[in-house]
Amino acid sequence: MYSQVKSGSLYGLDSEQVMVEVDLSPGLPAFNLVGLPDISVRESKERIRAAMINSGFPFPSKRITINLAPAGTKKEGTHFDLPIALGVMAANGTVKKSVAASFAFLGELSLDGKLNRINGALPLAIGLRNYGIKKIILPSANAAEVAAIDDILLYPAESLGQIVSFLKGKEKIIPYAKQPEEDLRKFSENIDFSDVAGQETVKRAMQIAAAASHNLLLIGPPGAGKTMMAKRMSGILPEMSYEEKLEVTKIYSVAGQLTSDRPMITTRPFRAPHHTVSGPALVGGGASPRPGEVSLAHCGVLFLDELPEFSRYVLEMLRQPVEDETVSISRIRGTVSFPSRFLLLASMNPCPCGYYGDPTHECTCTQNQIRSYLSKVSGPLLDRVDMHVEILPVKYSELAGLGLDLNHSTEANKPKTSEELRKEVERARQIQLARYGGESICYNSQLTTGLIRKYCALNRETEKLLENAFHKLSLSARAHYKIIKLGRTIADLEGEEQIRLHHIAEAIQYRSLDKMYRGMVMVSPR
Amino acid sequence: MDKIKKVKRGEKDYPELLNYIGNPPEALYYQGDITLASEPLIAVVGARKASSYGKWAAYHLSEKLSEYGIGVVSGMAYGIDAYAHKGAVDYGGRTIAVLGCGVDICYPPSNRALKEEILKTGLVLSEYESGVPPLPFRFPLRNRIISGLCIGTVVVEAGLNSGSLITADYAAEQGRNIYAVPGNINSVSSFGANKLIKDGAVPLIVFDDIIDELGINRSEKKFMAEIELGEDEKKIYDYIRINGEATTDEVCRNIGRKPSEINSIVTILEMKGLLQTALGKIFIAK
Repeated sequence: MYSQVKSGSLYGLDSEQVMVEVDLSPGLPAFNLVGLPDISVRESKERIRAAMINSGFPFPSKRITINLAPAGTKKEGTHFDLPIALGVMAANGTVKKSVAASFAFLGELSLDGKLNRINGALPLAIGLRNYGIKKIILPSANAAEVAAIDDILLYPAESLGQIVSFLKGKEKIIPYAKQPEEDLRKFSENIDFSDVAGQETVKRAMQIAAAASHNLLLIGPPGAGKTMMAKRMSGILPEMSYEEKLEVTKIYSVAGQLTSDRPMITTRPFRAPHHTVSGPALVGGGASPRPGEVSLAHCGVLFLDELPEFSRYVLEMLRQPVEDETVSISRIRGTVSFPSRFLLLASMNPCPCGYYGDPTHECTCTQNQIRSYLSKVSGPLLDRVDMHVEILPVKYSELAGLGLDLNHSTEANKPKTSEELRKEVERARQIQLARYGGESICYNSQLTTGLIRKYCALNRETEKLLENAFHKLSLSARAHYKIIKLGRTIADLEGEEQIRLHHIAEAIQYRSLDKMYRGMVMVSPR
Repeated sequence: MDKIKKVKRGEKDYPELLNYIGNPPEALYYQGDITLASEPLIAVVGARKASSYGKWAAYHLSEKLSEYGIGVVSGMAYGIDAYAHKGAVDYGGRTIAVLGCGVDICYPPSNRALKEEILKTGLVLSEYESGVPPLPFRFPLRNRIISGLCIGTVVVEAGLNSGSLITADYAAEQGRNIYAVPGNINSVSSFGANKLIKDGAVPLIVFDDIIDELGINRSEKKFMAEIELGEDEKKIYDYIRINGEATTDEVCRNIGRKPSEINSIVTILEMKGLLQTALGKIFIAK
């Protein structure tokens, strides 16, 4: 007695079809599972036996052999419970083989026969779709997540009993219809840029960063509002496209970070790993590779608070993801790639105690401590950060909105809401997308030296200013190109075709670390 | 590099003024031109951990002294000391570094380039033989030589525990003039210098004060022309000049312009050499 049921197996973000073959033969009762199952799959035997019996179905006392084909690749995940149970029942004659063969099954069983939520449902379903499968039976808790793909029929089920009745034609399961997308901006509604008193300069810098995905470093003493500002960053990034939402949801699905409250990721992620984070947790890893924080921040913001506190080894690991926008993890079974296109937002204190340059506290660090602190973040990672901006604590008068020195309270200094800032960012991104239509890049931050020559022509006067700055502020060649890129973004934010003098002049102010180091290496202060 | 030479007390090149201090060194080891040590000198000292204001003051004070041919003496430490030497060297003036270790040792090592620049026209000296390591107790001792060489000592910026206050004490003991550069009273790095003024040091309200104090006839110098400033540029420049320092946000609120505009104008003013920015604040550069 042989039967065959379809399911899928996941590796990284990709999945392939798996045929669950079941053979019942006379002999001493046994339950053998072959086809390289890992522990989580092997344990399914016990769940299946209990679930079938508790749902009122006979469990065959025969020699049961199950093969997961192709037998050569390792299988993991608890979603094999349901297809194996159905395979057994099809072989047993409880359900018709032909009916069971027309569906694909995903689902974890609990001992009483209920279906539990699984991880990776969305990438599994996408993979099965590519194999031409049109109908999938899956736990109802996963339905909303998979509903993001629309050319597939989803049958959400609560229990094993319900599925059997459905396959026998006794009960109907209505295919899951995509719900109108809820506005899930609840979270971002609560935190808005207009809550931040003062700090207009930093807001401006963050808007520029958002407009072209420039990586940004905030430097300031404790309590200046670095973290508060950073949390508001994802709120001013443009809305995600459908493809982006799908891609991000896939990553969260694999990582097991979707809940029934949030079946689909519709707002840009904001990830803030603690500085004790390990390398694999940050970039991804594990025996069966899982996405790390850089991938969970895909299409969104990765916020590294207290950058110099991260171990140097972990920071070094960030280089490849930032550069390539994807993480490759090599394991014996092959290489898995997770996308990691994120905006890197970092913050740091100006010195170990945090108060260097603060007007109200005394800094207790020695000059050497400050030096070694700064040198911790220097080097390759900093090369990939386009903007560094200093942030100082706001004064009480600004906090309370008392307007003590607001003699000139004009439109210009009324705080903008996140919504307003985002509109401007979106406009700037449109301009960039239109301009780079024929290129392989999307934003100004991705411009290469060659493309800078093509798209960032400077007029004579502006060239002169840059040259001047180059000598007076002793900028490096790298800083030179970054300033031009920033100038391009500032021009785009203002909707201007040509990069003008004041755009470049403004951009130069967003390279404060160049100056900080300059102070440290002692160049005359003029 | 020059050979390290030695001059004993009583010899011709031994600096005259050192003979009048309480505990004169028996011999001095030096590199460079020892005759410089017998010329009129002013010590410019201050804390190692200096604010931008302090660095600015040290640098330009030395520049001013060099302009009138007065040598600058300091200790070649980080911060104020280094900027004091740098100001003189950059102007083409002559400067003396007094070390708390053997002359062959460069301490702190990162000032090696500075030491070489000083040696081009100036002098590096110490009471210690070659190879004597820089130990903490030697620095206060060498401060008596710094003040002892000079007719006056300027404390540019000092916190409450700064070693430069020791130099000022020595200067007082030795009967030399003490000057201090006043700082903001809310700035912890200015407490020491301001306290000196309270105790009787002469405050330097403008750099020219020290020239007047020394009795040098100041030739009429042209005030730094405010080179073709635009209207907005002038507004910002004036605001900073009145307030001494300000954050971009403060300027925005008071001038009533957007941060983007202020930032770009500040860069232009930086290029013109009128302003400078550091640690999130804007300062006057000259």
